[in-house]
Amino acid sequence: MNSLKSQTKTEVEQKKEGDKRITSTSQPLNLSSSVFDISSPYISRLARIDGVARLTEKERLFKIAIEDNKSLGHSPGQFIMLSIPGYGEAPISISSPPSKKNTFEICVRAVGNLTNALHRLTKGDRLWIRGPYGKPFPVEEIKGKDLLFIAGGIGLVPMRSLIKTVLNTRLTFGKINLLYGVKNPDEILFKDEMSQWEGSGNISIQITIDKPHPEWKGHTGVVTTLMPPLKIDETKTSAIVVGPPIMYKYVIMSLGDKRISGHDIYVSLERRMKCGLGKCGHCQINSVYVCQEGPVFRLSDIRYLREAI
Amino acid sequence: MEFRFLPKKGIAIFVTGLLKEFKVYGPVKKDGFLVYGEIASPSDLNLLHTPTPLSPKQYLFPPRETLLKFRNNNSENKTSIEPVTEAHDQVLFGIHPCDIHAIRLLDRVFAYGTPDSNYLKRRDKTLIIGIDCIPDKHCFCRSVNTMTVESGFDLFINDIGAGFVIEIGTQRGKELLSKYSKTRKATIREISKIAYFKKKKMESFVASLNAEASTLPLIYSGSYNSPVWEKIGKICYGCGSCNLVCPTCYCFDVRDDINLNTAETERYRVWDGCLLEDFAKVAGGHNFRKTRAERLRHRFNRKFQYQVDKFGGLFCVGCGRCSRTCLVNINIVEVTNELIEESNKDRG
Repeated sequence: MNSLKSQTKTEVEQKKEGDKRITSTSQPLNLSSSVFDISSPYISRLARIDGVARLTEKERLFKIAIEDNKSLGHSPGQFIMLSIPGYGEAPISISSPPSKKNTFEICVRAVGNLTNALHRLTKGDRLWIRGPYGKPFPVEEIKGKDLLFIAGGIGLVPMRSLIKTVLNTRLTFGKINLLYGVKNPDEILFKDEMSQWEGSGNISIQITIDKPHPEWKGHTGVVTTLMPPLKIDETKTSAIVVGPPIMYKYVIMSLGDKRISGHDIYVSLERRMKCGLGKCGHCQINSVYVCQEGPVFRLSDIRYLREAI
Repeated sequence: MEFRFLPKKGIAIFVTGLLKEFKVYGPVKKDGFLVYGEIASPSDLNLLHTPTPLSPKQYLFPPRETLLKFRNNNSENKTSIEPVTEAHDQVLFGIHPCDIHAIRLLDRVFAYGTPDSNYLKRRDKTLIIGIDCIPDKHCFCRSVNTMTVESGFDLFINDIGAGFVIEIGTQRGKELLSKYSKTRKATIREISKIAYFKKKKMESFVASLNAEASTLPLIYSGSYNSPVWEKIGKICYGCGSCNLVCPTCYCFDVRDDINLNTAETERYRVWDGCLLEDFAKVAGGHNFRKTRAERLRHRFNRKFQYQVDKFGGLFCVGCGRCSRTCLVNINIVEVTNELIEESNKDRG
């Protein structure tokens, strides 16, 4: 009887001690036992440049092959953190559609240290990647809809991943329009590809140049000037908008004129990012971390998020 | 809750014991300032109970920290990547309640989503020994409910004049205390002295907020267009000192350092501050928070609204360090009270 009692007591005591350990907030969120199993989220995968194409004076398209031969496993609209040791790391949009192969494409404008270093690399050179990160475009949700793509400048880069995905299963979508605005004719990206897309009659493309240019015979004016004549069925259209910060405000107003609801408009927002993990604070818009909850947002979700657009 | 009594002279023996097993960091005098620093002997400690200009966050989240090492073997054409964690067994000694609250918030930040292995591994090797404090004219922890702390420490020291009443927070803390010091069970009388000193502390605050802590997120969300931001934006230097001293500011930049023969690259992170001009600037040159007013509004809202939405709990722990350090005397209590007043007026 006595021994049983003392045994019970010991069990209770042990349980108490156990409880105490668990409730101790001095330990970070009970992770203590498994904390050494956590691997560094900054570890990257080795990759090689499999091909480089010069698109414009400033932009190049890189085909990248991951060394471990596994696919990147991304969806359209996501990004990677790309690094070249010594030059640093930066978020880069993925420009190719999802693939089972170990290769993918990025299109990069040379603007800073890292991107200029990247432009100096050639086939076979090594770099490091981690990701993919971020919320992608909702491909399933826009199935069956007419699609209106509106791109400004290098906004076409992340959009290309979605356009190519959509064209791969063209029959599951309605009418597709692409409005593309750039500053100068020599800044037009994916020229040949676009005429292929258009040639197959799968997509109607209109390009506009901001200001008159001697070599340009096409439409002139900002991208919103292409919108008034456009015939749109607002009941079954989804709009996808990617461009520089200034563009969103005006394009969104024009889409309002077309009676497209904020629920059917998707944008991809650019922000400075240093970690891609919702920690470093650079991409924060109010309480939203763009690297976690974006970069793709439904407009109605961020309409009241100050500083977003 | 368990309380042990330690005579005043017993603390030196206890610290000497800790130094056998741990690196110990505590309040020390340096160039006339009370700062947290590594101690070599108990006599280095300066347990004055007054606020420190810098928080102890540097021992969990260092100002500069290596994350990765890349190695190139050019002759063999090989390259490798290796994670780096700099962590050792350490005791943070003499941490005030506000900073213990701040550490609990950082724990949540670095554990949520993708856990940050560097922080968590270091945190796991850290013991926290708190101590009660005496507020100065900038302290306002009473207004944000961080004046006292019930958990988040291994041991907590209360100075009751005649000696220390030590509150046991964890089993680990209890074991260390009994291993390295001779304590006895504190008497009811001694324990009740804690309440007496707390009452005295409560009465000694100069600064306070004119609203309940729980109403602050709502007040801040309504203050987006307040003229206050422009007003303080005009005098702010954008120097980021407030970010530096804040115990809950954790934003960082990630950079590379390459050695001269290019064989090794160190990827490291350094503290960054949202008050600095480039903080939200993207490669193309667009700055999403161009003006100092916008950046100040962002920082204040991070403390009182944005991070609260994300993690729960105010991210201001009332330590007053930002006010104490600001070169142009932007005072977090005054700013918040102005917003409270505006909000009261708006509601009529």
